[in-house]
Amino acid sequence: MTSDPNPITVIVDGREERGVVSARKLLVHWLRDTLDERGPKIGCDTGNCGACTVRCDGHLVKSCMVLAVQADSTEVETAAGLAAEDGTLNHLQSCFKRYHALQCGYCTSGMLMTATDFLESGEEVTDQSTRRALKGNICRCTGYENIVRAVRAAAGQDVPLPHGAVPTREGDDL
Amino acid sequence: MLVDTDGAAVLAGGQTLINVLKLNLAAPTALVDIHRLPELRIIKPAEDGALVIGAAATYAQVAADPIVSSAQPSVAAMAAGLVDRQVRNRGTIGGNCCLNDPTNNFPPLLAALDARFRIAGPAGERVLDAADFFTGTMSTALTPDEILIAIEIPPLPGNARIAHRHLQIGADSWAVARAAVRLDIDAGIVTSARLVAGAVQNSPVRLHDIETTLTGRTADASLPLAALEAFDDTRIVTVDDVHCSAAYRKQMCKIQVRRALEEILAQGSRS
Ligand SMILES: Cc1cc2nc3c(=O)[nH]c(=O)nc-3n(C[C@H](O)[C@H](O)[C@H](O)COP(=O)(O)OP(=O)(O)OC[C@H]3O[C@@H](n4cnc5c(N)ncnc54)[C@H](O)[C@@H]3O)c2cc1C
Ligand code: FES
Ligand code: FES
Repeated sequence: MTSDPNPITVIVDGREERGVVSARKLLVHWLRDTLDERGPKIGCDTGNCGACTVRCDGHLVKSCMVLAVQADSTEVETAAGLAAEDGTLNHLQSCFKRYHALQCGYCTSGMLMTATDFLESGEEVTDQSTRRALKGNICRCTGYENIVRAVRAAAGQDVPLPHGAVPTREGDDL
Repeated sequence: MLVDTDGAAVLAGGQTLINVLKLNLAAPTALVDIHRLPELRIIKPAEDGALVIGAAATYAQVAADPIVSSAQPSVAAMAAGLVDRQVRNRGTIGGNCCLNDPTNNFPPLLAALDARFRIAGPAGERVLDAADFFTGTMSTALTPDEILIAIEIPPLPGNARIAHRHLQIGADSWAVARAAVRLDIDAGIVTSARLVAGAVQNSPVRLHDIETTLTGRTADASLPLAALEAFDDTRIVTVDDVHCSAAYRKQMCKIQVRRALEEILAQGSRS
């Protein structure tokens, strides 16, 4: 493969980023190593785990399976762009917190991106459809149950909180 | 560029090729990215009624296209159930066929549907049917300077019934066994049969002997039994892999054939 320097311009979470990359550079490496964008994680580097999931021009993709040059002139959304500037969590993130949908957190940014895409798609949200939507995202900690609950809660469904997740102190809601 | 650059390769969805490059299993001198070429992503009916699907149409695009759902619902359903949400947004129907990994979803189904493969190269275009396009495990009739531009699926006669069955590792994942079947049934009699095995050596493999056995028979519960008997006399080569033994794989292939036939019979009793 040629290692010619290729100029690229990508909108990343609303900011215009310019770079020069070799043709072999993976999008996830450019985002993380060059831009220091820590939304996408690298779990498997083989397209299996989904930790690197981002949206590229509105399409959910695994950024370890896309070359940086292929993202030229596109708009990339990562999990780092979900919260407000001051760090306030968005609704989906709050539901993840509330429903204990993460433990080590490694899969979480990928899960959040897939769940965002699923919830915005207008597809019917059921236990089964949520599980299928999350199929490309692997979590080694939670057993998925709480992730599925969090996504359904974010869709406005009345989902019981998992055991132990009941707020204990006044004002400790989210 | 493919013609001018020795050792160049086509990059479609990249959902296999990028992993192949990471592992240094191939070292193309250049990649020709066809993923964003609109003319290779067109889905339209042809004049003769065939459904034309551009080679670079993604699974997600095929799954959502109303023309595909109405003309070839089995193709739309296959695309909708492939791998996962992310891979469906990148992986292409053409890449799935050009790779021709024996476990891939589309080759057996497209073979059962009599799909034609339109190829472009320096000498112009040529069209091959599945038997000529798929030349063996991980190989096709494409030469290095050719690309697949479209897959054309002829219209189905009103009496055609299709079923596709597979045993996969988890939901929507690598196949241990696949079978795709199309039967044309007139007044309760099978007038023509196409049975294709996948996830076997040289996939997709037409099971011609079983097809002959089934043709002319009454479409009733005796049909799967006749197919199973014929299956035992058919030469099918399977291999051991990390998931299962060759013998298990072959047995599972047989069971997928039976289930596909049972599904077709059930379709008939519904309509
Ligand atoms: C986690 C994971 C799980 C998967 N599971 C499955 C599965 O269960 N079933 C399944 O079927 N697939 C599976 N795949 C593979 C996926 O479907 C690939 O997308 C597909 O096999 C190849 O299509 P592609 O468009 O990505 O092609 P690429 O990876 O871009 O290319 C594959 C090969 O075909 C050639 N090629 C592609 N398009 C053309 C063309 N138009 N003309 C000439 N040559 C061409 C390329 O040069 C390359 O050699 C999986 C992939 C991943 C990452
Ligand atoms: S790191 Fe990309 S899918 Fe695992
Ligand atoms: S929370 Fe640890 S991998 Fe999901």
